[in-house]
Amino acid sequence: MRRLFSRRNVVAAGLVFFAVLPFVANPYVIFIGNLALMYILLSVGLNMLLGYAGQLAFAHAALFGVGAYTTGLLKLELDLHYGLALVAGVGLATVTGLAVAMPALRLRGLYLALATVAFAQATLWVFTHWNSVTYGGAGFRVPPLDFEPFTPRPDIGVYALTYVIVLASVPLGWNLLRSRVGRAWVAIRESEVAAESLGIDITRYKAIAYVVSAMYAGTAGGLFAGMLGIVTPESFDLFQVIVHFCMVIVGGLGSIWGGVIGAVGLVGLQEVLRAFRHLQEIAFGGLILFTVLVIPGGAVSLLKRYLPGWKEPLRRTEHDE
Amino acid sequence: MKLSQLTATVGAAALAATWISIAAAPARAETGVTDDTIKIGALGVLTGPNAKFGDTIYNGVEAVYRQANAAGGIHGRMIEYVREDDRCQAAEAVGAVKKLIHQHQVFMIHGGACSNASLAAKPEIVAVGVPWVITASTASSLTDPVHPRIFTTMLAGWMESYAQVQYAIDQGMKRIAIVAQHDNWGRSRYDPLIEAFKRQGIEPVADEEIAPDPSDGTPQALRLQAAQADAVILILFPKAAAVVLRDTYKIGYRPFLIGGSTVGDVGVFASNVGIPGAADKLHAVSTIGYTADDPAMAEWKAKVEAAFPNDTFNIYHMFGIASGQFVVEALRRAGRDLTRESVSQAMTDLSVQTDPYAGPITCTPTNHQCHNTAAWFGLVDGVTNRVGVTAVTR
Amino acid sequence: MFAYLIASGISTGALYAMVAIGLVLVYRSTGHINFSHGELFMFGGFIAYTFFVILGMPYFVSLAVAVIGGFLLGVLCDRTVYRPLIKAPALTMVLATVGFSFLIKGVARFFWGAREGGDYVAFPAAVDPAPIPIGGIMVFPQQLLVLGGAFFFVVVFTIFFRRTRWGKMMQATAENATAAFLSGIRVERVYTMTWGTGACIASAAAVLMAPLTLLSPDVGFNLLLRAFAATVLGGLGSMPGAIIGGFLVGIIESLAGGYLHTGLQEVSAFIIIIVVLVFRPSGLFGIHKLRET
Repeated sequence: MRRLFSRRNVVAAGLVFFAVLPFVANPYVIFIGNLALMYILLSVGLNMLLGYAGQLAFAHAALFGVGAYTTGLLKLELDLHYGLALVAGVGLATVTGLAVAMPALRLRGLYLALATVAFAQATLWVFTHWNSVTYGGAGFRVPPLDFEPFTPRPDIGVYALTYVIVLASVPLGWNLLRSRVGRAWVAIRESEVAAESLGIDITRYKAIAYVVSAMYAGTAGGLFAGMLGIVTPESFDLFQVIVHFCMVIVGGLGSIWGGVIGAVGLVGLQEVLRAFRHLQEIAFGGLILFTVLVIPGGAVSLLKRYLPGWKEPLRRTEHDE
Repeated sequence: MKLSQLTATVGAAALAATWISIAAAPARAETGVTDDTIKIGALGVLTGPNAKFGDTIYNGVEAVYRQANAAGGIHGRMIEYVREDDRCQAAEAVGAVKKLIHQHQVFMIHGGACSNASLAAKPEIVAVGVPWVITASTASSLTDPVHPRIFTTMLAGWMESYAQVQYAIDQGMKRIAIVAQHDNWGRSRYDPLIEAFKRQGIEPVADEEIAPDPSDGTPQALRLQAAQADAVILILFPKAAAVVLRDTYKIGYRPFLIGGSTVGDVGVFASNVGIPGAADKLHAVSTIGYTADDPAMAEWKAKVEAAFPNDTFNIYHMFGIASGQFVVEALRRAGRDLTRESVSQAMTDLSVQTDPYAGPITCTPTNHQCHNTAAWFGLVDGVTNRVGVTAVTR
Repeated sequence: MFAYLIASGISTGALYAMVAIGLVLVYRSTGHINFSHGELFMFGGFIAYTFFVILGMPYFVSLAVAVIGGFLLGVLCDRTVYRPLIKAPALTMVLATVGFSFLIKGVARFFWGAREGGDYVAFPAAVDPAPIPIGGIMVFPQQLLVLGGAFFFVVVFTIFFRRTRWGKMMQATAENATAAFLSGIRVERVYTMTWGTGACIASAAAVLMAPLTLLSPDVGFNLLLRAFAATVLGGLGSMPGAIIGGFLVGIIESLAGGYLHTGLQEVSAFIIIIVVLVFRPSGLFGIHKLRET
């Protein structure tokens, strides 16, 4: 019976579930499913930077925003094909990620945290004040997408696109982490001095971590713009970073599958939290505290402990969990 | 073994997916209407700092609905009012509106708080053809150009801004300046304000900005003073407005201040500022025609506070009451054969004099920004008084 | 104009400095930044509001209650968040304090959020609200009170650290926790004391500030960011640095808003953080080497 919930089966079930969803569910459920898929990208990317490379950076929501703004604006102003706009969005988010990485490489721990908090706030300020480009605080509408001849419904089109991208990029991340890059990240996380003495080029691998996670964030941002049909600055504020962090922590820091579980779990939870009304903040804060205090390894650590087949390479050592 | 496991999981997943879809039962004669109920959904912010633009207003709406239900309902049908939180976020609003339409299967939507969230929700509402009466979102693009099923009972953002500029000119002001917060709320008023200046053929002598949550407004006050503005238009929430008032007063600069509906209850706001005399030269435009403690509102005050014991009756409830009275009248006119089409038709040509507003809510086939009577409030001998009423046009 | 800008910069700067003191205090002894510090500030303000406005107690009684309440809240933060996670990585601690901040913000909104029909409450001035002339410019007596309060706390803390047993134990623990432990200092008590003291200064700052703005459950975050800027500018971990940094941030904001563009007032703190961390990470008065965490 326990074998039924091994990782292979759960992932297979998840794949089928998300594949069947658009055919059977109502538009509300489809939208929530799409959000969950998009957040998988975001949280897997963030987990590489945060959980594997150990860089405490708050810039993620800003990069997510750059992806969304670029994609949306290119679609709106130049009427670019959505696919091309998305690629451009990912490109600019990646470049921004690299630009953040340059100074950030010199900083560690809390210095890095503070610098990236400031960067995130400054980016938000640019989104709200650069009126001639970003349309300021009011944001802008993205023209409706067109997925003909595949499907007449744009929401299903974006859903399918997100599904395919997740299908491609989660295994990509998985492989990256099992490669030299992933091992270098973990070495850096555990001790920069030790990593350096092993001949690991710290600067280079840290930069790779920023760039790869920015790519994931940018992709998620571009999809987000297409999904919502509107881009507004408040979607990218620091509260959103906290939500993203929460996904990684609740799922499991330093675990690809943890990121996936966290994203799906938290999107579901946010829907449940609607019922809490005025107690939402209390419930959300309580959840974060509960997780870090009681199950610091996140959901995936419980799965690893009680179910077979959830072991991962390069997992965090026990004393971290 | 392996294969059977896979089949089992696939089966379970498919079952779960189908189970979710059951919630989307096929539509009846008219969605959300049964023989004895009408289900109406509220979309808007229910929690957090902006909840007054959503939840508080909906309490006002619900007070009207309860009154209608107590009187036997509308053509024998009781109104059920369900609320979904958009947390003032575009992404949440899309989820919330889809939930209302496809999960709750509401007949119509009556609500809408933060403009950006409402704008994000609009495409879905348009696609399904759900009638929508907006209670608070002011972005003009929600209702202009006219959509046959979307109406607003709130002054549109441009109306307040146009009224503010017009008022300054009518009061004989020559050098008019602006202080605005540039968040999404501020932008929906700031852009039409600049447009209104252009139409009048004048330039603001200063255009200053302040954070929505500032701790100091001295730089703004000094720059306004340096620009020798004789009137200052405020596009500010009470928190920022209080800081600006305090610091202009501090440096001994006393321009004529023209506030928006956020400080519409001038007396309450003046007591918040807490400096005697600081709000003497403040006039504020407001959506509503009375203050919350006006005797004309006493009956509603009692009803709202009885229904929602945690609430202190305030101007936001009054927005909801006016809007609720309008919708109840529309439902009545639409008759027993209630459809989305029939209620939209009823609203398209409807004029209702509500209790809290100074003028009637009047929709016409060419104008769905149905409320355009702005009232002006100011302090007279330390008491809030209505100092004028204008019908806004452009 | 210049005199006014400097004066208002000093007054807001005093506020930032007071918030920054608590932040640095906790950072020095634990090596962690308390992301719920802004909310501790906010909560202290609401405690005082409850006693001063709702219950009608005298101002200084309310201030005292808020300071004690803030201290207890800081202790609660130590017991529920810091102590169980003492060995956890920095990220976990950041998340935990963020979680705690949401929790207390939610509680504050639950009790005080819906009062007065808005999401803010008015806090009447403790002294005469009308401005008075000083050196050719007008200032609010309350601003002087903020300045006086900041000065008072700086003096009290200097004495506390230099002269009292507890102060010396805190200093010792901050320098080297292991050595302090070995020499018989009960380090965990010192930690509790540190969290409590940090929160109680924040509470006092909130009570002094509240009459100048309005009080809302959301005031904490912006103040926290300003305090970040102050600590970074002064050199993370330096107490005099944080105080001077606080004043500088206040003055820079004021001057940037007054002379360049009022839109810059809001963003200058973030620019300060980025510029300082990129070009001079040790800050203006950084005495500590870059710490690894």
